[in-house]
Amino acid sequence: MERPERAAAALAVQPRANGCSGAGHGALRNGYVRGLSPPDTQINHIVHNGGLYKRPFNEAFEETPMLVAVLTYVGYGVLTLFGYLRDFMRQWKIEKCQNATEREEQKDFVPLYQDFENFYNRNLYMRIRDSWNRPICSVPGAKVDMMERVSHDYNWTFTYTGRVIKDIINMGSYNYLGFAQKAGTCQEAAAKVLSQYGAGVCSTRQEMGNLDKHEELEKLVARFLGVESAMAYGMGFATNSMNIPALVGKGCLILSDELNHASLVLGARLSGATIRIFKHNNMQSLEKLLKDAIVYGQPRTRRPWKKILILVEGIYSMEGSIVRLPEVIALKKKYKSYLYLDEAHSIGALGPSGRGVVEYFGLSPEDVDVMMGTFTKSFGAAGGYIGGKKELIDYLRTYSHSAVYATSLSPPVVEQIITSMKCIMGEDGTTVGKARVQQLAENTRYFRRRLKEMGFIIYGNEDSPVVPLMLYMPAKIGAFGREMLKRNIGVVVVGFPATPIIESRARFCLSAAHTKEMLDTALKEINEVGDLLQLKYSRHRLVPLLDRPFDETTYEETED
Amino acid sequence: MNVGTAHSEVNPNTRVMNSRGIWLSYILGIGLLHVVLLSIPFFSVPVVWTLTNIIHNMSMYIFLHTVKGTPFETPDQGKARLLTHWEQMDYGVQFTSSRKFLTIMPIVLYFLTSFYTKYDRIHFVINTISLMSVLIPKLPQLHGVRIFGINKY
Repeated sequence: MERPERAAAALAVQPRANGCSGAGHGALRNGYVRGLSPPDTQINHIVHNGGLYKRPFNEAFEETPMLVAVLTYVGYGVLTLFGYLRDFMRQWKIEKCQNATEREEQKDFVPLYQDFENFYNRNLYMRIRDSWNRPICSVPGAKVDMMERVSHDYNWTFTYTGRVIKDIINMGSYNYLGFAQKAGTCQEAAAKVLSQYGAGVCSTRQEMGNLDKHEELEKLVARFLGVESAMAYGMGFATNSMNIPALVGKGCLILSDELNHASLVLGARLSGATIRIFKHNNMQSLEKLLKDAIVYGQPRTRRPWKKILILVEGIYSMEGSIVRLPEVIALKKKYKSYLYLDEAHSIGALGPSGRGVVEYFGLSPEDVDVMMGTFTKSFGAAGGYIGGKKELIDYLRTYSHSAVYATSLSPPVVEQIITSMKCIMGEDGTTVGKARVQQLAENTRYFRRRLKEMGFIIYGNEDSPVVPLMLYMPAKIGAFGREMLKRNIGVVVVGFPATPIIESRARFCLSAAHTKEMLDTALKEINEVGDLLQLKYSRHRLVPLLDRPFDETTYEETED
Repeated sequence: MNVGTAHSEVNPNTRVMNSRGIWLSYILGIGLLHVVLLSIPFFSVPVVWTLTNIIHNMSMYIFLHTVKGTPFETPDQGKARLLTHWEQMDYGVQFTSSRKFLTIMPIVLYFLTSFYTKYDRIHFVINTISLMSVLIPKLPQLHGVRIFGINKY
């Protein structure tokens, strides 16, 4: 750990976020809150791990205040007791049961529905269901229109009033660079290709579905990432779940991060390899697993593993944290394993020219064996890609399940990706792309700083455009979603069991399309709602990253 | 709203008892129960303590050793459907800190109850039976065991 004075001096010569010259909002550095405590007692978060990091890596996950945790459990306890009461009333026909049940004649058969597994759905989710699945009726750009719906039976059924709520500030779409537009160069190019090629492809890549547009796209993606070759697929989820089984199989080892996305987990399970999970972004945990794998080999036979594949993501969308890529690559080289990097949220959103997390850390793309990403988030299209060495991609063209069985990308979508990627790279002759990347970085810094100053607990890295705001209590999840909609701001809230039981949150996704006025409006409303719901839990005590102990008190399901 | 979307934790039930603040909430819950019972005017102190002990042990038996499965659908195709919460904790690993905590709590409560009931014979018999009913299911030898097929499915 370096001392604050040296760190501050080192900081003065560090490049600004994403290489852009920020307007200097007086941004906070390293979690320092000015005027709060003298410098020598401040906790220093700069990680200068033997020179691996060229810029400060600020990540913070403030600990839940104990009172809040206790009250959250009280909340869930009360909801559970009332749930049992309501179930009792429904069973004895005091209350009308609106869930799917079997007919009276079938009651003696083996039950069709597991009613306990549906307990949470009936009694907790149904109460706040109106915060999800909201129908939108315009392009999800910086502002979006939503169909208004009301429920007269406590969210069991919805009816549309017919009114459309216009111009809701959209803080939930993964529209990082603002390419979700209905007018502009991308849209015109896509419309032209639509009239030229039609909408459907009607075949898989290996049969008749390989268009010249696909070849053009793949060459462009390879150039964008700085790799030898790339391949594009129709669906981002399917890219992960169908290609990991093509890369690893039985007798291989997968080391996957705790908070990996469901597509990576599904792909890992489908492959048949042994899966070991390391603590989120914790390099000591990963190194221990690697050492054990190399020393002890496979479980019973002690033979060496055929392959060791490390699965990480660029930005984790639920936590807002960025992977410690320099350390992962150093470990990968030391223990001779392979790295699969899923840049779904970080491609286009990080790095001085939007090339992703590899550029953000200043590393070489050749160090990452398999670079995967999606076109859904920053490019405003659909689909995924995998980039890497030419032999790898040629192998995947033959052996990937997506290539053989899944329909290829639709031509207008391909054109949207090509146009937006050229825009980001600057090859369309304008500086629009670069301006967007810089705008996103500025928006990120500004938004996070303002939220921290207001006193909310925000998770994740300073540079990540995904901002989780902690809510904790189950009632606040529904209240926050509804209050923000009343104030014309659309947010995504998420609670247990998708997150750990005390860590429910609201997740903001920033976009380059958000202007400062929009962000200011949103911040003003969040401030009001925060005061109304008492969400300002932060005590400005950030958990120092290096002090979090690594211990072995979590027990994972081992597959043997 | 789906289990496991943000976590590769297949069954969040296994980690609930390790979460931050839940032991404190548990102790506060027992305290609240005790204070509520104390405020009923016609119960004497020994009766209140015995009632606290019995109600605590009965609730623990119901929620930890009777109710099976998870209140949400898990992506592991129902591996834990026939397991009680005690058996699901920490994926069946024995002697973890949460298991030790939940074993020690009824014992501590038993000591306090025995003290406050002045070791009276009837109270002793009731409290001991109640304690046994909640300690025996926690033995590692009884992991997954269903005596006489009670509560099997």
